[in-house]
Amino acid sequence: MSTTGDSAQPISGPTERGKECADWQALLERIPYARHLGLEIQRGDTGLVVHMPCREALIGNFMLPALHGGVLGALIELTARVAAQSQDTDKRCPRILDSHINYLRSAQARSTFASAEIVRQGRRTGLVRVTCWQGKKSKPIASGQVQLLLPSMGAKQADLHEQ
Amino acid sequence: MTESNRAQHSDAVVTAWQFTEQVPHGRDLGMQVVSVNGNQICMSVTPQPWMFADEDTKEICTSVLYSLADSAGGLAVFAGALELMPIATLDLRMDYLRPAIGDRALLAVATCRHLTDEVAFIHCDILSEGDSELLATANATFMRNTQGQRFQAGGRKKEGA
Repeated sequence: MSTTGDSAQPISGPTERGKECADWQALLERIPYARHLGLEIQRGDTGLVVHMPCREALIGNFMLPALHGGVLGALIELTARVAAQSQDTDKRCPRILDSHINYLRSAQARSTFASAEIVRQGRRTGLVRVTCWQGKKSKPIASGQVQLLLPSMGAKQADLHEQ
Repeated sequence: MTESNRAQHSDAVVTAWQFTEQVPHGRDLGMQVVSVNGNQICMSVTPQPWMFADEDTKEICTSVLYSLADSAGGLAVFAGALELMPIATLDLRMDYLRPAIGDRALLAVATCRHLTDEVAFIHCDILSEGDSELLATANATFMRNTQGQRFQAGGRKKEGA
């Protein structure tokens, strides 16, 4: 009927994105190793972005200098985990099953960003694709696929008994 | 102990060993080279509370194991090749078989499985010290002789920017 109803929708958009941003930040802050790396959530043009500020402890080759491959691994794995957890209605903490990361360009000693794309989120598993870049997003330095297992309440109990 | 083990190796392996122990990220995590035997190397990390993936479960973050596998894999390339040259990780695949819980040191045993002029294929197992059960396994491919290609190109760009 009238278009005024439709035009109201985008106004609620930024507020929701703000809440999503706070949700991701809260999930990230619960991970001690993510805090150690200094990861933080930022709002990008096309969605949420995880930012890893550069510091000396992240360097893997001090002669180039370049970031350590494991640091990019951590950025990708933790971005995937937060993305999968934020999508889960029960906010269950996913277990990382495996990750496969391809290194595409040299990672310079500077700020690095990562964005997640949920390939599939099921009731028990999630598959997340993560892209990392430094300058332009169109020139990624690494990309990875992370497979996550979302624990059922029953499985959580079984885990505890196993120990 | 490590000093006497080091003395038995070629200059290239000793230099790579020393270089590995100087890497800032490795030092941050407290990575140490335990041994080099032929084309197989062993590195360790002692768990710290800031490495947890979760404060409640006290599970070590998988990414710490990932970093350890990447560093161990890199050193295994030099142990297999016995010559110094710039290398770069092309890809790395980790399978996390069990959660890493507890305060025992994490050990990575990396082996250079195959070497060509351009590429090194590495396998790495990660275990808790004193335990034979695998925590994780990794397969990685490293590019050899990367100098003058991607890295210098990146460096030039950086200077120009």
